[in-house]
Amino acid sequence: MMLTAYRVEMEKVFSKWRTYIGFIALGALVPIIVVALGIEGQDYLNIITQQFGSQFDFKGNLINGYTVAFIIFAALYVHVPFLITLVAGEVLAGEATSGTYRLILTRPISRATMVTAKYLAVVTYTVLLVLFMAIMSLGLGIPILGTDSLLVLRSETITILAGNDLMWRFILAYCFAALSMITVASVAFLFSSLVENAIGPIMTTMAIIIGMTIISAIDVPIFDYLRPLFFTNHMNGWKFFFDVPADSEGMTYAADWTRVAISGGVLLVHIVGCFVAAQLIIRRKDILT
Amino acid sequence: MNPPAIAIRDLHKSYGSFNAVNGVSLTVEQGDVYGFLGPNGAGKSTTIRMLMTLIRPTSGSIKVFGMDLATHRADILRRIGAIVERPDFYNYLSARKNLELVGRLSGADVSKASVDRVLGIVGLGHRTDSKVKTFSHGMKQRLGIAQALLHNPDLIVLDEPTTGLDPQGMVDIRDLILELSQDHRKTVFLSSHILPEVELTANRMVIINRGKAVIEGSVQDLLNNGRLKVTIETSEVARAQQILRESSVGNHLQSVTQGELIIMLERHEIAGVVQLLTSQNIPLSAVTPVRSLEEYFISLTQEVV
Repeated sequence: MMLTAYRVEMEKVFSKWRTYIGFIALGALVPIIVVALGIEGQDYLNIITQQFGSQFDFKGNLINGYTVAFIIFAALYVHVPFLITLVAGEVLAGEATSGTYRLILTRPISRATMVTAKYLAVVTYTVLLVLFMAIMSLGLGIPILGTDSLLVLRSETITILAGNDLMWRFILAYCFAALSMITVASVAFLFSSLVENAIGPIMTTMAIIIGMTIISAIDVPIFDYLRPLFFTNHMNGWKFFFDVPADSEGMTYAADWTRVAISGGVLLVHIVGCFVAAQLIIRRKDILT
Repeated sequence: MNPPAIAIRDLHKSYGSFNAVNGVSLTVEQGDVYGFLGPNGAGKSTTIRMLMTLIRPTSGSIKVFGMDLATHRADILRRIGAIVERPDFYNYLSARKNLELVGRLSGADVSKASVDRVLGIVGLGHRTDSKVKTFSHGMKQRLGIAQALLHNPDLIVLDEPTTGLDPQGMVDIRDLILELSQDHRKTVFLSSHILPEVELTANRMVIINRGKAVIEGSVQDLLNNGRLKVTIETSEVARAQQILRESSVGNHLQSVTQGELIIMLERHEIAGVVQLLTSQNIPLSAVTPVRSLEEYFISLTQEVV
């Protein structure tokens, strides 16, 4: 019955116009960015490496497919949550708004099954959107601009990762990005279970993301206790796959696994918490619409 | 002996201090077309929502085909098809796709032939692939009945099924209810606030008001037994009054106003009274019998308005 309910939910999700907004947006933006960086990439590189210009002499195909994919990742990652909430925020509240809870909750499936099927449909959509971003970025960037090393610039450091050491990093980074976006989807899903209007969950989720981001950016000691708990603080964990940390003895590691594990753990706790809360809310909910 | 299709006992639903349903009990036998009658706001839809597990009762029990709804929800819902209040659907999908999706959740045969057959029954065979957002309210009502029938349920719960339908649509739905009952031996639980609708289709009924069942029984007994309130309109009220007072039904004369008399009569007495008055050359312009239950129900409805 779960599989049937999941298929039904998938058909519903992918029959709606709003589901494709994210794909259309990414499908339009990524080629534009790839082409723009392909044409004016060297100027862009000169600007961002200005502070290192006197110490380093940059050689090779540095505006390559990996660089473009990395830049797209960092640039669009901030906006993808909005696309996710458009679907996740509507999936339960939309049934209340349209009165179709009456149609599906009078069927011989449990509410828990229905909620799980809807949640899995949202997770599927989220993963597909991140996958689409990955395919578009790497799939267009590499054939058009080729491959070479990736320059990862921080405020005071510069990491150069060899071309043959990158694909696994991108794959894991996109997996982590999917986890982050599933967290956003889970928060929107939870709010969607609470209300009977689809706009509310979308706006509330975005307000929370913006609010947490603002609080995290303000350097006040009282927020030090809160910051580690905010999921927004852990959504950038994908960047840890492009770090090559070294310990005090100069030993380097392939990636910052500890920080990946901590951030991943915090996101997972949010995901499970939101899902369980949504289940309990729907289980006890009187359907009055 | 078969268990009742529905047995509701002392059902309550409260929202804070407001009692939406206040101790409803009723029994629907298998094969009944059962009228669930009450004015708007009487608690009909709340009762149906509890029957369909959309809201949780505050207290009381619901058994369907002998099974407790609290413990056999899925088994019971597999055997029920329902329209609960407005017929709402996924407007961005076609009628066919809507039926396919909800039918799959009920374990129904959702083959093209099966869906087409049900849409044909409710008169939507020509609009199977139209999106529901293009449908009128009446068409959605028909589609609502189609989704209730798709999985061939034993019990059909219809909440105000003729709302929004044109006169022909109402007749079609009534005929369909009778066909389901007589030809397919389905049990139909028909909620309505229109007494004639119930009278024309149901064999048993309950009247619910302010969350309580007021009266329950066979439609025949409830509507046709007892005295009728008969209004006699004539230009010679005084003489007619005199004639009736001297007759055997004189004690039942209720009131006399300008142009009309009101008298309580058994159904079989009406013809005799008419004959008596006309034999005395009393010109009659109208004789209107109103059943006491009908009058009672109208008063309930007006009370709410």
